[in-house]
Order: sequence, then C-alpha cells, then structure tokens
Amino acid sequence: CTVGEEFHRGYLVDERALSQVKKGMSAEQVLQTLGTPSTVSTVGNRNWYYISQKSRRPLQFMGEQVVDQQVTAVYFDKGLRVERVALYGIQDGRVFDFISRTTPAGGEEASFLGQIFRGVTSFNPFG
Amino acid sequence: CESLSSLNPFDKSETYKPEIVSNSPPEEIYNDGLARVQKGDFDGAVKKFSSLDKQYPYTDWARKGLIMEAYANYEGGFYEESITAAKRYLQSYPNTADAAYAQYLMASSYYDQIPDITRDQEKSERAILALQELIQRYPNSEYVADAKKKIQVASDQLAGKELEVGRFYLQKRNYAGAINRFRNVVSRYQTTRHVEEALQRLTEAYMAMGIVNEAQTAAAVLGHNFPDSPWYKDAHALLTRGGVEPREDSQSWISKAFRGVPQVGQRTG
Amino acid sequence: QQAAPRNRRVSATQGPIVNRVVIEGNKRVEKALIEDQLQARARAPYNQAAVDADVQRILEIYQRSGRGLAQVTPRVVDLPNGTVDVVYTVVEGDKTGVKEIRFVGNSQVSSSRLRGVMQTTETNLLSFLKSTDVYDPDRLANDLELIRRYYLKNGYADFRIVSSDVQFDPNAGGYVVTIAVEEGEQYRIGNVAVDPRLPGVDAEAVRRGITTSAGSVYNAEAVERTVQNLTANVARQGNPFALVRPVGARDPSTRTVSLTYVVEEAPRIYIERINVRGNSRTRDYVIRREFELGEGDAYNQVLIDRAERRLNNLGYFKRVRISNEPGSSADRVVVNVDVEDQSTGSFSISGGYSTADGFIGEVSVTETNFLGRGQFVRLAGQLGQRSNGVDFSFTEPYFLGYRMSAGIDLFSKFSDQTRYSRYENRMTGGTLRLGLPFTEEFTVTARYSLYQQEIEIPNDAERPYNDCSFPIPGFTDANRDGVVTRAECEANGEASRAIKQAQGETLTSLAGLTFNYNTLDSTRNPRNGFYAEVKTDFAGLGGDSHYFRVTGDARYYHEIIEDVVGIARVQGGHIMGFGDNGVNGGDLRIVDHFFMGPSLVRGFAPNGIGPRDISTADSRANALGGTTYFGASLEVQFPIFGLPRDLGLKGAVFADAGTLYGYEGPTVFTGVDGGTIRVLDSDKIRSSVGASLLWASPLGPIRFDYAIALSKEEGINGVGADRTQAFRFSGGTRF
Repeated sequence: CTVGEEFHRGYLVDERALSQVKKGMSAEQVLQTLGTPSTVSTVGNRNWYYISQKSRRPLQFMGEQVVDQQVTAVYFDKGLRVERVALYGIQDGRVFDFISRTTPAGGEEASFLGQIFRGVTSFNPFG
Repeated sequence: CESLSSLNPFDKSETYKPEIVSNSPPEEIYNDGLARVQKGDFDGAVKKFSSLDKQYPYTDWARKGLIMEAYANYEGGFYEESITAAKRYLQSYPNTADAAYAQYLMASSYYDQIPDITRDQEKSERAILALQELIQRYPNSEYVADAKKKIQVASDQLAGKELEVGRFYLQKRNYAGAINRFRNVVSRYQTTRHVEEALQRLTEAYMAMGIVNEAQTAAAVLGHNFPDSPWYKDAHALLTRGGVEPREDSQSWISKAFRGVPQVGQRTG
Repeated sequence: QQAAPRNRRVSATQGPIVNRVVIEGNKRVEKALIEDQLQARARAPYNQAAVDADVQRILEIYQRSGRGLAQVTPRVVDLPNGTVDVVYTVVEGDKTGVKEIRFVGNSQVSSSRLRGVMQTTETNLLSFLKSTDVYDPDRLANDLELIRRYYLKNGYADFRIVSSDVQFDPNAGGYVVTIAVEEGEQYRIGNVAVDPRLPGVDAEAVRRGITTSAGSVYNAEAVERTVQNLTANVARQGNPFALVRPVGARDPSTRTVSLTYVVEEAPRIYIERINVRGNSRTRDYVIRREFELGEGDAYNQVLIDRAERRLNNLGYFKRVRISNEPGSSADRVVVNVDVEDQSTGSFSISGGYSTADGFIGEVSVTETNFLGRGQFVRLAGQLGQRSNGVDFSFTEPYFLGYRMSAGIDLFSKFSDQTRYSRYENRMTGGTLRLGLPFTEEFTVTARYSLYQQEIEIPNDAERPYNDCSFPIPGFTDANRDGVVTRAECEANGEASRAIKQAQGETLTSLAGLTFNYNTLDSTRNPRNGFYAEVKTDFAGLGGDSHYFRVTGDARYYHEIIEDVVGIARVQGGHIMGFGDNGVNGGDLRIVDHFFMGPSLVRGFAPNGIGPRDISTADSRANALGGTTYFGASLEVQFPIFGLPRDLGLKGAVFADAGTLYGYEGPTVFTGVDGGTIRVLDSDKIRSSVGASLLWASPLGPIRFDYAIALSKEEGINGVGADRTQAFRFSGGTRF
C-alpha cells in the first residue's frame, strides 16, 4: 500500500560502485569504492559486510517491517585481495524469535517509592 | 514602587560586630571530628576536619584533617565532596602513606554511585580509571585486591550497558548497529559475564541475516569457552534448527578476539 | 631589591593576618554568593590589591543583578590580638532596571511591537514581580537576534541592525536602550523553482511539499520549515543522503526574492555510534527510541533535529544537546546526545472557583517520567462545595515497544447538581485506552469504559426535592392539613418524575473510538492550526445502558493580524438508544441524555438548554436532556492595547449559537410517583454574544466570560424556559 513511510536503513547500495569491485582488487581499493563496511569480521578472516535494509511503516504506531534486505559480503584471500563478492538477500535470513532472557545486571535500582518522590520538590514524605 | 521592596521581610543583612575567632588546639578539633564520625554526625565531622586545614595550614594536622574529611564525606554519602577532598589530598601530599587510601576513597566514591545499566555509566568509567590508577601507582597497597574486584564489577556494568543497547537495536532488526555493539562486548569486555550472551546474540543476528558462517563461528567460540552456558545451548539449538553445526572458523575475528590480536578498523581501548 | 616599608598598610613584607572577611548591608544578594568570589581570605596576610579587586567584583555582582547604583566601601578594623578584620559595607541603592527602550529607523514596524518581540522589558508597575527589566547585556544581545529574526519573518530581507547602545541615565535612575535599525524593503516571493540534481528525485512531489508560495511575503522561517519537510520527504523517497538547500536571488527593483530549492546529495556519512550521556534518571531506551535513525544508518541532519525536538517536547530534560564527533574512519560519525534530567514529579495543592462547581481544591501527585521509563502517573483528589472526587491515571507511551500509548484511568466523582437539576450524581469506574497515532497529526484512540452511575434525589429539610412522593415528617406536613397537595410540595422545588424514576444505580459498559486531528502550532495558546475530535461510543456490552453515541468538536485557529487570533468552532452530537434500557415508554435512560449549558452556548446556565419537564412548577431546575445537539461559535482574541505584554492579559469577543433537543426518555410513570409528564422539547436556536477577559496569571489561567442571550426558549408563559447565566468565571491554578 502506498500510504505510510519508507525507511532506508544502513548502507546505501550504489550499483555502479558495486559493479567495479572485481576479484583480485586490494582492500584499499574496496574501501575507496564502497566506503567503510557496516561491520567487519576481520582482515585476518577477511570478511567485510555491507548491510542495507528497506523497511516500511504503514501507520505511525505500527512497527517497521523489513521489506527488503541486502548484505553485500566481500571475502578477501590471505593476500588481502578480493576473493569473491556474495549477496545475501532477505530470503536468506532465518525467521525466528530472539531469546527474551537477559543476563541479570546489578547497579542501584531506584526504589519504587523513593523514585516517585525523589523527583518531587525537596519535600519528600518517604525519605 | 521601590517602597514595596524595601519593606522586604527577608532582610538578610547583618551589621558587623568585631569578634575574634578562637583557635582551639588541633588535637582537640581532630578528636572532636573522630567522635562525630563514631556518632554518625558526618556533616559535623567534615566541618571539624576542614577547619583544621584552615586554622593550621601547612601542618601535619592539616594533612590528617584532609584525609579524614575525605573519609567522613564518603561515609556520609557526600560522594562529590569526598572526591574533591581526596583529589586535594593527592595533589598536596602525593607520596604520603595515606595517598593510597585517598585514591581508594576517590575510586569508591565513584563506584558507589554506579547506576543500573539503563542509565549513563559515566560513574563506572570514572571508577575504573581511578581503580586502575590505584593499582598502577600503589601496587602493594592493601586496597589492590578490593580494587581488582571493583574493576570487574564496574566493567561488568559497562558490558551490560553495551549489551542493553545491542538488544535494543536487535529488537528493531538493525543488525549493523546490534552486531557492532555485541562485537564491542566480546572484544573489550571478554572477562565479564555478558560475553556469553553477546556471543549468542551474534549468532542470532548473523542467522537473521543468513550469514551462516559467522553465526557458526560465534556459536563455536561460545561453546569452546563456555560449554555449559545456557546461552550456548540456545545458540546451538538455533544453529541445529537452521540445519547447521557450530564450526569454529579459526580466522574469524571472534576467535581472534579471544587470542587478543587487535583487528583492523576497530578502536582499541 | 626590597621596597622600603612606607606605612604599615602597603608593605612588601607580610601584612597583618586577616582574622575575618565580613560583608554587611547585602539585602538583595546572598552572602555566600559574594563570599566565594572574594580574593581577600581569612588567615591570609592582608593584601590591599586583593581588597580593591573585591570591591570591583562586588560592584559587578550588583550591576548584574540590576542594582547599578550600589556602592561598596571597604574598611579594616584592627583587633586586640594584632590581626585585622576586612569589612565591606554595601549600600545597595534602588533597582536600576531598563527605564526605556527606544528605536530609531523603524518606519514599517511600530516600536511597541518590536518591544513585544524582545525579552528585556521596561520597568513598570509589575517590576517587583519580574526580573526581565534588569539590564543584562546577554539578554539584550539575544533580543537583537530576536528582532532580526522577526524582520526576516516578515519579508525584510535587507534588514540590518545599525547600532544598539545603552546609556546609564542617573536622573532617570536606570538605563536607556537605543536600537537603530535599517529596515530596507519588504520583499515578496518571486517564482519558486525546484532544481533536482539527484537522479530519481520526483520533482513534482517535491514541488507539492513547498509551502512558500509565490507572491506571498518572504518569510525566512517558513523557508526553513519547508526545507526541513522537503529534506525529510526526499530522504524517504530513496536516498537518505538527499539534502534540500534554498537559494534566494534578490531583485531589489521588483522587490521580490526568487527561491530555488536545490536537491543534492550530502556527503555519504554513516552513524557509527549514538552515545546517550547524562541520563541519571531517564532510561537509555526512552531517549534512543525517539531517534528515527539508528547506529549504522545514514547521517541525516533533519532527522537528528527532529529527534532533538521530540526529546525537548518530552519535558523530561532541562537541556538536550546533540553534537557530532568524527568516527573511527572518514565516513563515520559519532553522535553524542547529552541530556540533563529535570525533576518531573510534581506535588501540587491547587484551589479555584467556578460558577458551576463553586470553590474547589485539588491535591495531586503527578510524575511524567515514572521510574525513568517515560511513563505518566497521576493521582489526584478534589474537594469542593458542589463536587469532590479522586482519580488515578497511568499511561505508557510506547506500549510493547510500538508508538502506541496504552493507559488506564480510574475515577470516583461525586457532583451535587441540585442547583440546576435537583439530583446528586456519583460516578465510579475506569477506562482502558490505547492511542494509535496514524500520522504525526492524526491519532485514533480505542477506549473501553466500565462505570457505575448512581442518581439520588436529596430529600431533607433544606433540600426537599422529593417530598411530594416521600413526605418528610414534621416538614412536609407542617404547611398543610395532613393531605400532601402537589402545589405546596412543588413550591419548595421538586424533582421531575422522570428523574425520580432514574434514581438508583446504572452500570454502563461501553467501547468507543476517538479520532483526533491536530495541526495546532502550540497546545497552550494556539495561533494557527486546526483541531478536530470525533468520538463514537457503543454502550451495550453488558451493563444496563444500551445506546450508540457520536459527538464531534472542531476548532480552526487563524492569526488574522499580529497577535489577533480568530477562532471558529463547530460541535455536535447524537445519541440513539436501542434494545432494552429498562425504561418503559422511552428508549433511552435520562442519565444517558446530553445535558448542555455554557459549553454549547455561553450565557446559559449549566443544564440551562434543552428539553424540560413542564408538568411541575419547578421546571427551571428539571432539565431532562436531549439526544441531539449542535452548536457553532466565532471568537476573536486580541491583546489589550496599551498594556505591557508580559502582564499576560488578553481580551476576546464572541458569538455563540446552538440547540439541544429530542428527549427520548420515558413520559409515563407508575408506582409512588406515577403519572405522566409534559415535556417542552423545542429545537429553537439559542444564541448569544459576549466578551471575555483572559489572564495568564502567575497563579494560573483565569477567564471571565460575560454573555447576553439573544434568543432563548421562552417556554409556555414562562414555564420550561431556558436558564441564562450572563457571568461565568473559572480560574485558580490550572484546572
């Protein structure tokens, strides 16, 4: 549906620049043409990932649904030369629920009543 | 209508009356301060100890008063005042016996103000810096052991916050933001409890994008270092459900992070 | 070499030790504030230079706080033990505010209007209350910027401030500020063009977004707003790096500015990290969720500004500042969000008076950022002459992480309506609501309410409103020979049979939707914009009442000329009973009817309009309510000429019209108050004209309305007539 807003997330893919990345190209040249990757595995492991997403939000209260996702992975060989370029589309992504459990973390948690009145003027019946 | 403000009830000015400020002997003031600390009147104790510095400047009493002033402030929970007093002590008496204690008081003042992970962790960072300085400048002081423990807890807080923000972006399916946050936890806070969850979240994020080899590596490192962690069970389950076995790709940055080799494009420290 | 000691005071060797440094005569300024600025120290050797510096320092403090005439005389008091006391005696003198602000060269815009734009004000009768008339160089510099922006907003593209100088005029006892300006010509907008230098940009869509139309007066602020909207739209269309830049070409001969909106690409920079700092109370996600862009996304200044605006509107922070610093590589930037929490809890005791409820007091505890989670909590209790109650309200603005505001309200309200309708009403219940914003302006709220309503007719010696049916021993009989005749018991006021029938408890369980459309420029005192609210309610999911109700209220604000705001308002509603409402002969309970008064047409008393039971002599107080109402109102609000603006006084004139009709309650009754009632149900248009005074007083908004009814329902030779109430007052702190 046309109503609603569309968002471009992450890296903006530039087809022309992407087509210039050829096998054997140096890491420096890739940096020049594509820019810094969204996230880097490591030069050692030599995988660079450019993550771009298009999401839509039909109505403002709704969450954003990812409508298109493209991850451009640039794999380098040991000599830091481009080995191959892989594209992962939205269909590659596995759909599952993230684990809701979280690692417990400490820190002074404001007590319930202390919190409600700490914000109030100096007068604080609950001390 | 100036007349209105002249009959202002809050007339605060007083006229000058000559009066000589009596100087009681220093030990008396010092002991009075100690007594007040025992009684728990930290406010009064601080006033007593700071008056020592005013009335007997450049004497050993002033030094003692200053360290006790830092202590009384700390016990009374006036952390900022305790920090300023401790800093003044470290500037004027850097290599006295109590310098380590002053440094410890300052670090503890920051440490005791550490909020929960959804709030600004600036106090944790300050606490870590002060504790590290304590360990580095007074290596054999009796506070080093406790300092190490406190550093662990404070960096655990920092890792917790990083993880919290990572989860926020993962929930919004912003994988780039999430992965970089989780990476930060894995590479800078490996010794904290949060690293297990960070590795599991990395598995989730990479799987959600379909980059299976990175997911495998993350899960493998998690299994390798924390075999019986519940997070590893979740990561393993996610991979097997996706029909893929966790396989450590030894060159992956994650395994590298655990062997401490800094990576390109990642700020150290 | 050693300077020879000429006299004890100025000696190169150590002067006497200072015992104490004392300030006296300081009424206006705190002693502590002065003390920590002084250089002369107790227990340090006396130093003449330090004392001289202190005198200047104290004078400067006083000048800053508006006392330019203050004098400070230092003196040294020798003490028996050889030490000295340094005493600064201050004579504060009276306030030296800004006596007059003069303008030179402002032919197009009047001086009083320019003064209105400035924050610095002239000393006047309110000066003991305010501090804005104190001469403060920073505030004056800020004022010059405000004036410049005002001129740019009204088309004076060549505007320039020639000079602004401040003279201290001793006999006027204050400062005289003279600002010389060079206005230049007023420009209008020539042609407006779009220059898309980016592939794939839909120029037509961009053109549609332009609000600065050719021919209208050139308005710098409107151009700025247009650029922001255009950038947001274009960034959405496909390229998050798109940026719109306005290029204005001035043509002095035709006094027009032709505007070209250039669409180009900003440098491709991505956000590496968003650091939220300083949030000691508010939680990180409450701040982070206001950003429409996240880490790893393209850096877009417009979206950053929009987030900053949103954070400020939350009201949780004293200060919000978003700054950038270079990231770990050339095309990366780190965004730092520095916030400073402010206390968002308020524990307020307020009082007020309104002709409808009489005197009323309220105690309330409100926390708008509960536990730092951005949740709103409010607990309030009201106690008044004719009404009291308690209510609790909780709202979570981001329910389940979406921008849905879920909330619950619980209330128990008692109101004594006997002055207008001879019954007391207690309502106890709760509402669950879910707010769904469809766009920035349009929101739909889904509601479910369950409440118990209890109607009771007081029947005692002072308020014998039911003594015809239930005679009060020793009171009703007293005025007759044993037989209760209707004429007498009605004379002291008697509730209509319909209301007697409605006594008792009714449970209402209704679900409803509220549609809000709001483009007002400010909620507190709007100048431009449109506000509309339509409510549809369906009662009958269980409970005793069964009806379908729809009400609507739309207001249009338009600033006719500077500070004069015209308001046009239309409202209406209809309710339709269905099924079994437990009411023989009618298809809607009395209680569920609309009861209208001043809220529909000013100049009428509460429940003063609408169908009445004219079968009793007390018909004036027996409104039965109607099922259909509609009304319209035209109002013009204007500042009262001649009075300084910061008094906050505004006048208004208005004309209202409206009607309420269609009683569909029961008319035949059985039992103790059996019999039938005759209802006067006229759909005559009631109208009135009037004027009001609005005062944004330090206590809170106060409003006086005076309205004369032009046309009203006269009733049948006086019986069943509308009730008018010319004067209406409501005020006290915010109600």
